[in-house]
Amino acid sequence: MVPMGYLLDLIGSAVLLGCTYTLVAIGFSLFFGVMDVVVFCCGDIAIFGAFSILASYTILNGLGVTGTWPLLLVILLLLLIGILFCAVLGLLTHRFSIKPFEKSSALMPLLSTIALGTVIREVIGLMFMPVTNGVADMVAGENAVHVVSGRNPQSFPSLLSLGGSTAARNIIIVLVTVVILLLLFLFLNKTKTGLAMQAISQNKELSLMTGINVSRSIVITFVIGGVVLAISGFLVGSYQTIMSFDNGSMFGIKGFSAAVVGGLRNTWGAVLGGMLLAFVEVMVSGYVPNGSAYASILAFVVVVIFIVFKPEGIIGEKTVEKV
Amino acid sequence: MTDKTGFSLKLKSDASQRLAVVLINVFIFALAYAILRAPAFVSLAFILLVIVGLLAADKYRIIAWVYDLFIRHKKLAFTVAFLCAMAMPLLFAPKSSQYIAHIAVMACIYSMVCLGLNFQMGSADMVNFAPAAFMGIGAYSMAVVTVNMGLSGWIGILAAIFFSCTAGLLIGLPTLRTKGYYLSLVTMALQLVFTQLIKNIPYFGGPNGITGVKSLSIGDFAFYKSYTLFGIKLAPHVPLFFFCLLILIFFIYIAMRVGVSHYGLSLNTIAQDEVAANCLGINCNRRKLFAFIIGSIFCGIGGALNAGLTSFVGPSDYTFARSLIFICMVILGGMDNPIGVVVGAFLLTVLTEKLREFADYAQLIYALVLVTVLIVRPAGLIPKRVRNYCALFNRKLRQLAEPAAPSVSEQTFQSEN
Repeated sequence: MVPMGYLLDLIGSAVLLGCTYTLVAIGFSLFFGVMDVVVFCCGDIAIFGAFSILASYTILNGLGVTGTWPLLLVILLLLLIGILFCAVLGLLTHRFSIKPFEKSSALMPLLSTIALGTVIREVIGLMFMPVTNGVADMVAGENAVHVVSGRNPQSFPSLLSLGGSTAARNIIIVLVTVVILLLLFLFLNKTKTGLAMQAISQNKELSLMTGINVSRSIVITFVIGGVVLAISGFLVGSYQTIMSFDNGSMFGIKGFSAAVVGGLRNTWGAVLGGMLLAFVEVMVSGYVPNGSAYASILAFVVVVIFIVFKPEGIIGEKTVEKV
Repeated sequence: MTDKTGFSLKLKSDASQRLAVVLINVFIFALAYAILRAPAFVSLAFILLVIVGLLAADKYRIIAWVYDLFIRHKKLAFTVAFLCAMAMPLLFAPKSSQYIAHIAVMACIYSMVCLGLNFQMGSADMVNFAPAAFMGIGAYSMAVVTVNMGLSGWIGILAAIFFSCTAGLLIGLPTLRTKGYYLSLVTMALQLVFTQLIKNIPYFGGPNGITGVKSLSIGDFAFYKSYTLFGIKLAPHVPLFFFCLLILIFFIYIAMRVGVSHYGLSLNTIAQDEVAANCLGINCNRRKLFAFIIGSIFCGIGGALNAGLTSFVGPSDYTFARSLIFICMVILGGMDNPIGVVVGAFLLTVLTEKLREFADYAQLIYALVLVTVLIVRPAGLIPKRVRNYCALFNRKLRQLAEPAAPSVSEQTFQSEN
């Protein structure tokens, strides 16, 4: 028999993985809820945030700030930088990939955001071409990852593992996810701006008539989406410890799958979907021999089954299409 | 379009019209030859020139004029185009231009795949993110049949058709219940699952792929082999180039026929509004399955030929990134217009191959091209044409009334939209 502790370990890592999927899925459902379009570069925006944090950490390290300043301050500063970058990127996404296609078929923004995601990914890849990475040396010391050519995987600064323990890091990741979820929930349901955003997702014309500044709300949505994605990028980076420039594409597809499985438009659906996908993946790789190779395949099979038989997701209202 | 300042060159006599058809055809193929032959940056300049030229030509309705002229003299136009196309392999025959012949064959193969994708993406507005997977299914069928089983390449082609057709059917079935984003997600999932599976199954060579794929041959005459003719050593691509061109012409013909048939019309209707199409009595399920199956067969044959060309199949050739490239080609060329799709595939293939030194930037360039085209000109370089049933009808009437050939300029040009 497989011991009980093994199962608990698996559940723990499934929850962690689920947290990272959830945060990206929230980005998807936030954008979809307000704009009715799938912004497919969410994963890439998150990874861009992670890489901007990585780069600024390297710069701060070079300036000698990291050693002298308190760690919390450094983390907050880095997060602020990442959030700033991602918010700007969110606005750019809106300007170049969403706004031009307001009147055209819904698949146009999908295509253009995929293309934009590729642009972001390639830009990251081109910017992190150099081999030497001070961060890697500092964090991993002798074991630093050095790849001689190509677009290198970079090792992410392990800021969250206080005293080098992964347990503390894992707890922080889960806690931060929960806090973000709660804050987002409060924002969407208790503030005027959040309610306005929900109104827009219900009916754009009507909310325009009731005096809601639709274009401002949309911009705010993209900024908030950027913030959430930056934090998720930071958490993913801390969780995976080694990041590659093209992580964003798989990450984005998993996040979108999670959002669809849970029910697009619904924040809690994103949580459920993310957890479900993560559990499928972790359990398959944990219990099936040689399963890790087939884990994501099975996750996608689950997604396809959901799309075919329950396209509205776990929690989501069934819509009937009219002419 | 409101402005009536279109291009109108009055060619009264039949002979001058015929001459124009021949000259335009020769011009198009000469341009293609120049783009293929020129060194990297000159070729790039030519490509930019073609893009600007096509945009201008569309603005002043030259494209519509050429179309009408070609349709009027259908037989002549086809014959000249066929002869010009068949002359291309001869122009690149010497061994010295081997690499250019390679690019040309690749352009043919990519055009086939793009034509297949066009059935789904252009005609029916179902964005299929898995053309590379369908292509890969064809390529791997070819590889398994010729290498693992040691059979002839023709059986490989048949297997490619069979398996890509089955895959198209299997993927088409779930998509009958889905649409829009969901359909795209299903195809994306398929693409990723395909790459993962191929990587993990040892029978398909795992990450290393299968090497030594045989190309086609008739008896002792291999399609990928260097022959010596009149003392000139030929590039090994020449027979394959002929074969690919023939297949491509056949595919373009099928695509155009489907486009004007009731199948093409009903696919367009489904793209506009599926519920309305259903109400009109169109069997949406059957039409969508048709689009998926015929598209995946095109992709599968393209993949099989590609495997024969490179004599290697590997998972890295049939990834999501490759699918994006095909989508980019279709959108650049012009959705739902077979000629446009082929032009887009040709331009982007040559662009990538000529700028090999900048391969690091290739993906970035594709993505930027896609973003730009989508914003600036979503209809593509050669936009889709409104079906001109009316003109056909008018011509028949006029032929009945007066048997003399009317001039092109007399015919009212059909306005787009």
